Amino acid sequence: MYIKISNLTKSFKMFKRSAGLKGALKSFFSRQYTNFFALKKINLELKKGEIVGILGENGAGKTTLIKLMVGLLYPTEGDVVIDGYSPWKRDHEYLRNVTIVMGQKNQLWWDIPASESFLLNKHIYQIDDSIYKETLNELVDLLDVRDKLDVQVRRLSLGERMKMEIIAALLHRPSLVLLDEPTLGLDVISQSKIRDFVKYYNKKYNATFIITSHYTKDIQEMCERILVLHGGKQMYDGKFNELIKAINPERRLLFEFSIPPEESYIHNLKGKFKFELNDNILTAQLPESELKDLLSTLLNQFSAQSMSFEDLPVEETMKNFFQNPQDYL
Amino acid sequence: MQTIIKKYSAVLKINWIQALEYRANALVGVVAIISGLFIEYQIWSLIFESQNLTNVNGFQFRELMIFIFLSIMVGQLKSSWHTSGEMIEGIRTGDINKFLIRPISYFWYHFMMFIGVNSLYYTVYSLLLFILLIIFPGLIFPAAINFIGFILALLISIFLSYSIYYIMICFAFWFGEVRAIVVAYNLTMLVLSGQYIPIRLFPESIIKFMEITPFIYLVDFPVSIATGRMPIGLWTINFIYSIAWCVIMWIIGILIYNRGIRQYEAYGS
Repeated sequence: MYIKISNLTKSFKMFKRSAGLKGALKSFFSRQYTNFFALKKINLELKKGEIVGILGENGAGKTTLIKLMVGLLYPTEGDVVIDGYSPWKRDHEYLRNVTIVMGQKNQLWWDIPASESFLLNKHIYQIDDSIYKETLNELVDLLDVRDKLDVQVRRLSLGERMKMEIIAALLHRPSLVLLDEPTLGLDVISQSKIRDFVKYYNKKYNATFIITSHYTKDIQEMCERILVLHGGKQMYDGKFNELIKAINPERRLLFEFSIPPEESYIHNLKGKFKFELNDNILTAQLPESELKDLLSTLLNQFSAQSMSFEDLPVEETMKNFFQNPQDYL
Repeated sequence: MQTIIKKYSAVLKINWIQALEYRANALVGVVAIISGLFIEYQIWSLIFESQNLTNVNGFQFRELMIFIFLSIMVGQLKSSWHTSGEMIEGIRTGDINKFLIRPISYFWYHFMMFIGVNSLYYTVYSLLLFILLIIFPGLIFPAAINFIGFILALLISIFLSYSIYYIMICFAFWFGEVRAIVVAYNLTMLVLSGQYIPIRLFPESIIKFMEITPFIYLVDFPVSIATGRMPIGLWTINFIYSIAWCVIMWIIGILIYNRGIRQYEAYGS
């Protein structure tokens, strides 16, 4: 197994203080600490080349899990083994094969062009000249930022900067890529470009990707498998589509009658199925099996001018899920 | 070894590139150096003239000026306002994540950064030293061996100074904000290391105390070698002590870092 996470728990020591000068003074002399559990007994196994998405609300533990995997944090309990290495030992051999892109943290040198940071990474990761040139050219063309290479990082747009961050992170061709909110704040075109890029890179280099994102669409498009965290606990590990079906087994049918149906027919049908009829179009939102029954009943008597099935919006489904995850799993 | 040298020299280079990016800042830095030396000259010439002094604790005016000029230079070369501030901020805000995720030593990366940031001063001071050599022949580097000794002692001073800063910086893993400690240390060192007033002008008891601390090796030691005030017979023992202090401070720094990094909470996303 490429990645094995067993009973991983991480807690942080925290203190709270009330607002205002009085609270600050009180806290200066006496602080009461409590343990906050960011992650509780997480278990996960990944094969090389998988793309796994981590979903969860703010504070669910997504970033903490990623930080533990890259070795930025020490676990309170449990273990992480990646390709035979314990990340927090920060073995240079391990770090040469892993990378992390944090959407909210800048890793490039702010005041100088990104190309200078790339050169620094070339030396830090000891990349051969030929591989460096080849990889840089490939990444720059794929992400379409060639004309921005010599512009100071602080003058780049958010999207351009994120693309440069990704290039800097992938120059050494890591086999494990951790992306923490890679599309945060980006426009739809940039988001789409980054999603396409992840799929391309995964396919070409068989790199393992672990991605966190608040945009469910990111996860839906890039990751077949997802891990759902809620309050630091592991709620689900499996295929994204299966989770969506488990949360909301309903689909939507739109059926446009070729000729207007009689009122008595509709009245009878309403006794068996739940639907709405507007302008000759029947709309029903039902579990798939019921939807099939409805469709065969309709087709027995009518032909359709047009007809379509729709999945319910994923964002809406996930929102419902996170409000009460225990109800669905 | 070659790849390690390449790796860390790349860090040095990117710091130079960054320093040259801000031309106005670089220019003000150079002006500040020259004005600092000028102010010292004015103060001491006033003291000598008003008190009708011919020498102070064995220093004639020109000798004292050379000693002070060199002390300010060495003091500046070993100081780390910029790098230490950035390191503390990095620990506090989580910016050091970008170093921790790379196959590079946090200690050596910032040491090269420290050298890189101070490089502007190295260049200007080398030029000033050359001018002083012409204006005051015989008062600096009376023999070639003094020049070699000075360079070695200066390298030790820079490494020792950085190692002491590193220890203070690592406490940020526990306390978050330790800039007050660094500022207090910087201000104390301006006096105790002899950066602005030579230690040799201090009472004997203070000199004796300073000799058992590493601080004497930060400024007084290299300057005393450069000006020929330290007999060659004492060099060896002082080099041994100064190197021993470097090793001690370096090991303490590494130990504190290894403990501190376990406390680190990698703040921010």
